Parts: sequence; C-alpha cells; structure tokens
Amino acid sequence: MLCYVALIVLGIMSLFSAKYRPLFKRALKCVFLKATLRPCDTGLDEELKAQSIAGIMKISPKAASFVNRHFQIFSTLFTITFFLSMIFTAQGLYNFYLYGNCNGLEGGFCIYSGIIGNNPSLLKPPADLQGITYGNQSANITVVEFGCYVCPYTRAAESDIKSLLAKYNNTIYFVYKPFPLPGHNNSKEAALAAYCANEEGKYWEYRALLFDNQQDVEANGTAALTGFASRLGLVNFTACYSSGKYMPEIQKLAEQGVSCGLYGTPTIFVNGQAFVGENAAKQADTRIGQLLSK
Amino acid sequence: MDIQKIRQDFPIFQKRQGLVYFDSACTTLKPRQVLEAQRAYNEEYSGCAGRSAHAIARQTSDAFEAAREKVAKFVNAKPESVAWTRNTTEGLNLVIRSLDYSKRNKIVTTKLEHHSVLLPIFEQRRRGIATTGIIETGKDGVVTEEACAKAIDRDTALVAIHHTTNTTGMRSPIEKIVKIAHDNGALVLIDGAQGVPHSKFDFQKSGADFIAFSGHKMLGPTGVGCLVGKPEAFENLDTFIVGGETIETVEMDKVVFMKAPKRFEAGIQNYSGAIGLGAACDYLSKIGMGDIEAHERKMAAELIGAISSIPGSQIYGTPDPAKRCGLASFNLKGVDKHQVALMCDSMSKIALRSGLFCAQPGMESMGAGKGAVRASLYLYNTPEEIKVFKDTLEKIAKLGS
Repeated sequence: MLCYVALIVLGIMSLFSAKYRPLFKRALKCVFLKATLRPCDTGLDEELKAQSIAGIMKISPKAASFVNRHFQIFSTLFTITFFLSMIFTAQGLYNFYLYGNCNGLEGGFCIYSGIIGNNPSLLKPPADLQGITYGNQSANITVVEFGCYVCPYTRAAESDIKSLLAKYNNTIYFVYKPFPLPGHNNSKEAALAAYCANEEGKYWEYRALLFDNQQDVEANGTAALTGFASRLGLVNFTACYSSGKYMPEIQKLAEQGVSCGLYGTPTIFVNGQAFVGENAAKQADTRIGQLLSK
Repeated sequence: MDIQKIRQDFPIFQKRQGLVYFDSACTTLKPRQVLEAQRAYNEEYSGCAGRSAHAIARQTSDAFEAAREKVAKFVNAKPESVAWTRNTTEGLNLVIRSLDYSKRNKIVTTKLEHHSVLLPIFEQRRRGIATTGIIETGKDGVVTEEACAKAIDRDTALVAIHHTTNTTGMRSPIEKIVKIAHDNGALVLIDGAQGVPHSKFDFQKSGADFIAFSGHKMLGPTGVGCLVGKPEAFENLDTFIVGGETIETVEMDKVVFMKAPKRFEAGIQNYSGAIGLGAACDYLSKIGMGDIEAHERKMAAELIGAISSIPGSQIYGTPDPAKRCGLASFNLKGVDKHQVALMCDSMSKIALRSGLFCAQPGMESMGAGKGAVRASLYLYNTPEEIKVFKDTLEKIAKLGS
C-alpha cells in the first residue's frame, strides 16, 4: 500500500532532487504492477516497512513490535489518510484561489491565510457605519464593503454586490467605504467623483459607470469622470469635484480601513465577519443567509 | 594478523563510517592495493595485450601475464592452466557446455549448487546432450562420500560440485570426490567461488580437473574470473566463445585454434580486472591464506554463537563452525528475511543478503524454500562487528515474539 504514498511523495521530491528519481521509478513500477493486478517485485514496500519499523524501534521497541504485527492495517490506514488529506488540501487550495479562504463560501479559519499572512478572521470590523449607505438602517444585519473603484477585484465582485442588495434589500443595511488603493491611478479621484454623484442622488448609476469603464478611469482620470457626470446630467458635479470637499472623508475612511487591517479589496464585513477578494460578496451572501435562518 | 591494520587498506571503511559489511559471499570489498593496480593500468599503460608491439602494449602484455602467474601461484597451478573468464559462472558454463559428451553423457552434481552450476547442466539435459545424476544430501547439507559413490558411475562424464556452498559455508570433501570420480573415469569441475577466497586451495594437490572462481569474491574487481584446468583436461573441451586471439591461423575453409588457455580467451580481455585480481592475490598471499582461514573459523564460531543465542533463530546447515567458513544463513521466527536484512541496514549499517542466494533447490532441500538471511564474513570483519550484529538481531527478533 505504501508505494502509492511513495509515488506521490517521491514524485514531488524528484522534481527538486535527482537523487529521489530512482526511488520514484521503483514506486511507479510498483504502482503499475499493482494496478495491473500483479505483485510488486521492486522491494520498495519491504524497504519502507523495514525503515518505518526501524525508526519506531529507536523510540519504542514495544510500539515497533505492535506496528510490525499490524503493519498491513497501519499502512492501509496511513495510505487512506494520506489520500484524504491530499484531496482536502487540493480542495482547500482550490477554494483559497477562488474565494480567498480554504473553506470556500463558508469562510472561517484557513491555514493558508495564516501562511501567507492574510487572514480575514484577523481583520477588525470598522468602528462606525460612515460611508455611502443603502437599505434598512434599523436592520439587524449590516454589510460594510471597503472597495476601490479602479480595483479589478472590486469590479469582479460588483455583480454579486448588486445581486446581494436586490436579494436582501431592506433586511440588511449596506455601507460602502471607499478604500482607494495607491497602486491604481485615479483611485482617490474616482472615490471623490462617486461622492459628488451621490450628492445629486445618482450614486449607483455613477458607480456602475465607474466599474463598466474602469480602464478609462485609470487612464484618463478627471476627463473620464467628468464625462460620466455629463452622461448622467449631474449639474453640480464640476464644482463639487473641483472643491475636493469629500477628500477628508475619503481619507478618513481609508485610514479606518488601514486600522481594520485591510490587505485587499473588496473586503466585506457582515456583522463584523470579514470576507476578502473577488468572491467576498458570494461569501457574504452565504453568511447573510445563515444569519437570517437563525 | 592485524585486522585493524587490514581495515585501513579498505577505503570504504573510511568513507562509510560504521559500516558492518557482512555480504562478502556476494562480493568483497576492495583494498587500496587492488584499486591502485587498476588505476596504474588505466592511467599509465592502458594498452592491449598480445597484439600491438608498442611500449604500452608490451607493458600491458607483461602485466597481464604476470597477473596470470600470480593467480596460478595462488592456487598452485601452472600459468598455462589459467584461462581468464568474466566470472565463475562463465568458467562453469565453459566446461559444462563445451565438454565432449559423445562417450559418456552423465553430469553428476548436488542440489546444493549455485544456479551457475545447475542451470548449464539443466540446459545440456534440455538439449538432450547430457543426463543428470544427483548426489543426495540431507537437510543438514552435508555431502558424504557414500552418497558420492552412489551417484558417480562409469557413465559419468563430469562431476560438478562446490568447494564451499554459498548458502551454508560448508565444504565438500573435494579430494574424496575427485578420487571416486577419477576411479570411474569422470572429470571433476569445482565451483570455487566461495572456496578459493577463504582457504588455502592447492589445485594440483586437490586432483580436480577444473576449478572456476571470481575475482570480486577475493578482494579483486568485478568482471574478471578464472578457469583453472589441467592441460589434458582442457583438451576435452570444444571451443566456447571464439574470436580474436583464439587461433593460430584462419583460412576460409580451415581454422587452427590455439591451445588452452588462449583458445578460451576470445577478444580483448579485461586487463584492468586481471591486473587487479593479480594484486588481490598478492595482497591475500602477503597476509597468508592460513591466517585468513584461521581468522574466519574463529569468526564463524562467534557468528554461529551469536545467531544461535537469539530466541527463535534457525541456522541452516551443520551447526559445527569447524565445518564452515565465516558464513551462516538463518531465519528469525515471525520476521520476514528481507525485513531482517533491511532493518539491520537501517538500524546498524549492517550489510546482509536475503533471499534464496541463487540456489533455490539447495535452499528448499534444507527447508528454507522461502529464503533466508545470510551473513558472510571475510578477513576484515571483527568480533566487535559480530557484537553489533547480535545486539541488532536481538532487537529485531523481538518483533516476531
């Protein structure tokens, strides 16, 4: 049984060191023989058993004797456990890649987050609900999104945000807090422009234009932003935008995001529980569903 | 005989600290003197012998023939009795497959033989060239004079038998067998692979017609061995492998072959190996085969004692150390042979062999048809190593208790 485990482990080790390749070839031959219902004649299983028992014997001769007597059971259990853990690891990596969390939409503790230093469960929820708001202020569920209008991940999550707002409407209170990323051009300008559009009651329309024309915003800045305002017929936009009167609030909310420990956008807090990445809205949707079903 | 001084001649002991090499029946370690002789050939005069006339070719010829003389002296034979082979197997095949069976066609042997003896005999039988006769041996693996007398008769062309088995380290009564064979007009071929390296062997005194042995089992290189034969016995052999250097003249309708041993040395020979084997003979002779044999006998007693003291151990062959070289095959109750060998390696760097040792019928006849573990010693092994071996075996034996 152990040759199946050896095939995987030695296969990986062989990628990094040629000294493991002869052993890998033996494991491969052994697995091939077993897969074709022939006995493994490479001696690899025997070697692995002997080395395992010898290793255990150094610690406890009694344990070595026990394992030796039941080696077939132990090796079978070990092999099954190994492959199960491989499956779970692969699933976790897939979820981590897709959702930013190895538990997928469920969220919660994820060791990969800890390894790369980004762990949503360590984020602190914002202290207030200041920002651009939507929904029922007295709702029991608050959803706070930290986003950047020129961040591709925030844009990728936007359709899920829209679905989420349409789905839960007045059962939640939604707050958008701008978190302009310094790595993107015109991120602060876009946040300012959105505030100005909000002043004239056209926030969501303007927000849609920002995400739909994200590259234009990043490349052309004020020209693009002014153009969107014209398309929406905003009359006070230029004055508002030129004054920069919302910049202090944008700056304050960005600092709030930093104090929350944000490491990426979008970051969505559902009653304080954080979800990060382009699938954050999907995870938030699941979490809201759980909260409402209680 | 200073074992610690001897061990200093073997570079492997410096390179692999703690190695306990108990697999000398498979192949022996190589001393610096042998390696140096081979290095000198390969670096300083790497020519071919008996062909070209330039200086390094002449030097090669001289060294090659000097090596033949050293080997001949080592077994007390004449140089013209020594034919180079690749190994014992080739020497045995050469005799068994080239002998004239037109007047007598029975080959007598024992079940205890290495496959290198049995398989060429079985091949001759399969081809309808020869029949076989078996000298019966008991479970203790002892070859008796009576059993030999019963198996060898006037139809016997050849008696092919071990000097020392590779499964138990026990010896055949060679001189008695030779007498019975010759009384019946049969030739005697000795498998000397395990005998020549471990005891003072006198070819002329033994009376045997042929003896084959390998270089690598007596501190020499792999890929070289010898077939030593009486000149008149060689005349009974047809050609085996033919080619360059085996002939006097070649015409399109007539070939005149050389006399033995050159008749059997076709093509470029393993000069480096032969020269290395010559150096190994020098090395062993300098220490003295009598001293080596005495050392091994003493070590055999300790080895047998160590294994016997382990509960659940079973040693194959006679328990009498006096009848063995430093070799013992055994099993531990409840622990697989391969596991014992692998664990000894893993736990204490003890190199052992496990399996059937290329002697399946022999192992089956001794009740070890599923194989065994073999510890085989040589001049470089020490009592301290046997102590390590014993301690390790004690731990492993507990797995099966």
